[in-house]
Amino acid sequence: MRHKNIFLYYIQKFIVFVLSVLVLSVVVFYVSRLAPGDPLYSYYGDRVEKMSDSEREWAENQLGLNEPIHIQYIHWFANAIRGNFGISYKYKTDVIKIIGGRLPNTLILGGIGFVLIYVLALGLGILCTWYEDKWPDRLLCKIGTVTSCIPEFWLSIALIFLFSIKLKLLPSSGAYSIGNGENVIDRISHLTLPMTVVVVSHLWYYAYMIRNKLLEEVRTEYVLLAKSKGLSKKNILFKHCLRNIVPSYLSIMAISVPHILGGTYIVETVFSYPGIGTLSYESARYQDYNMLMALCILSGALVILCNIVVQIVNERIDPRMKKDEGLQVSEVIEIG
Amino acid sequence: MDERFVQVGIRPVTALPVQEKKQYKDKPIFSMTVFMVIAMGCLFCNFFITKDPAYMDLYNTNAAPGAEFYFGTDAMGRDIFSMIWYGGRISLFIGFFASVISTVAAIVFGVFSGLAPKWADDCLMRFTEIFLSIPSLLLVIMIQAILGKANVFSISFVIGITSWTSIAKVVRTEVKQIRDSEYVIAARCMGAGFFRIMWRHLTPNFISSIMFMVVMNIRAAMAAEATLSFMGMGLPLEVISWGSMLSLAERSLLSGAWWIILVPGVFLVMTLLCITDIGNYLRKSVNNRRSNL
Repeated sequence: MRHKNIFLYYIQKFIVFVLSVLVLSVVVFYVSRLAPGDPLYSYYGDRVEKMSDSEREWAENQLGLNEPIHIQYIHWFANAIRGNFGISYKYKTDVIKIIGGRLPNTLILGGIGFVLIYVLALGLGILCTWYEDKWPDRLLCKIGTVTSCIPEFWLSIALIFLFSIKLKLLPSSGAYSIGNGENVIDRISHLTLPMTVVVVSHLWYYAYMIRNKLLEEVRTEYVLLAKSKGLSKKNILFKHCLRNIVPSYLSIMAISVPHILGGTYIVETVFSYPGIGTLSYESARYQDYNMLMALCILSGALVILCNIVVQIVNERIDPRMKKDEGLQVSEVIEIG
Repeated sequence: MDERFVQVGIRPVTALPVQEKKQYKDKPIFSMTVFMVIAMGCLFCNFFITKDPAYMDLYNTNAAPGAEFYFGTDAMGRDIFSMIWYGGRISLFIGFFASVISTVAAIVFGVFSGLAPKWADDCLMRFTEIFLSIPSLLLVIMIQAILGKANVFSISFVIGITSWTSIAKVVRTEVKQIRDSEYVIAARCMGAGFFRIMWRHLTPNFISSIMFMVVMNIRAAMAAEATLSFMGMGLPLEVISWGSMLSLAERSLLSGAWWIILVPGVFLVMTLLCITDIGNYLRKSVNNRRSNL
């Protein structure tokens, strides 16, 4: 990429990003509208059943639901490009406002979780490499495999049962007690359990990847050379090997965004945590189209952006990196 | 060695003790046994379950584990011991079936993308990226809604077609490396079609590198089924599976019936653990060389 005009290069990446988001919006729009559910239900609730045909028609007209899908999409797109994502059928207010109110909660849960996972994963990875095949490594591998096998929702339920119901130490749902929104300690106590689940269920997956990358690294020749020059183990591992796994570390981080995001969705739903996850779950189940579109675009754009950023960063750090080498995960991205 | 030909000038070296590798070494014997026991128990559950798993004994709802109900009963009075074995069939079936669907989809997509010209390949890869960027939970909800009421096959289908992307990426990379080999070109010259080349010439060459992921997909599919059923989007309560049993877990929190949460969960986690262990064994060992550190 050195010899190309750097400006053109970024323009190209930007166009790819915009096109991807556009395709994403078309796909989500069509798929969500193909579902046979009744969007009027989420707007009018039970009253839908008592509506006469003419009333229904009027309501559909009001919400712009009686036109062919592609016309609906053009309308939606024309509004969305001006920042107007429509109103939520369920909450009857601007979609952006509702998302804006919920987003900080998810950012706290997902963001802190993300940072914790990465700091801890790196630490565990280094620890395992340091003690390769000795008891700390073996023990960590065993424990890690077990924790990564526990489904998130089950871990959540088990923790709620233990800490909220039996020991009565921590609250089981919500982001704060009513009237206590500003109280930091209250917030933290509500955050502890969901955060534990998010971190525990993802941690080993990434720690193991980092461990394997590091193990590959310490088998290279330059490590032998450094050792024969009399450098200490600490020096070699921290100054030489760690630097070389930075590109993989960054790509793993970027790939993990949808993974961790999906995980917080499930955790949020189980803990009734008022974030983006519960909101998307509701909107997809009850055909709250505008909300669903806005949320899908939001999370989709974030993921696509992460992928592109990691490509750019990788190419700058290590120009040998081939176009998609950084994005190979030989593991399965699973639900949650 | 013949004594007449003893060479001089070579330092006599005592032979290093060769470590004989035992056949069963490194094989996940324990996990395989546990997995077989669970699988066999589910297959032949008719011979030893004590109660009808679907029968609702309304006098004994939420009964604690005891002599009559080994694992207790759930909120609808069904015997959990019988349900575990009976429901395991469906959970395992969904795991395998979904994994087959995703593997086939991944192979077709990956091979196509690997063989296609560069622009088409780029488009397809971009498509998988977009596909991955939709939160899979939402995707599953929407596809499930299109398919209508959930049953065992539709659940497997939904899970299958949302989990093929990572395998497809590996298949594509492998195919790109072998697509210009002589045997592929020869097969093409003789007029072999896309599917014949894929099935006879390419698949045997990359199957070993995706085997691990296929096994891991079984695990992911079983976890996904449980998650979906738990959230009320999967199998309904009447269709007994480990997931639908766990969907009662949230309600049992307040009644303090820990066995409703624990028993299916432990069975699920045990099975997933065994599958992981078997999968790890299949993974080509990355490096057998000694560490230089």
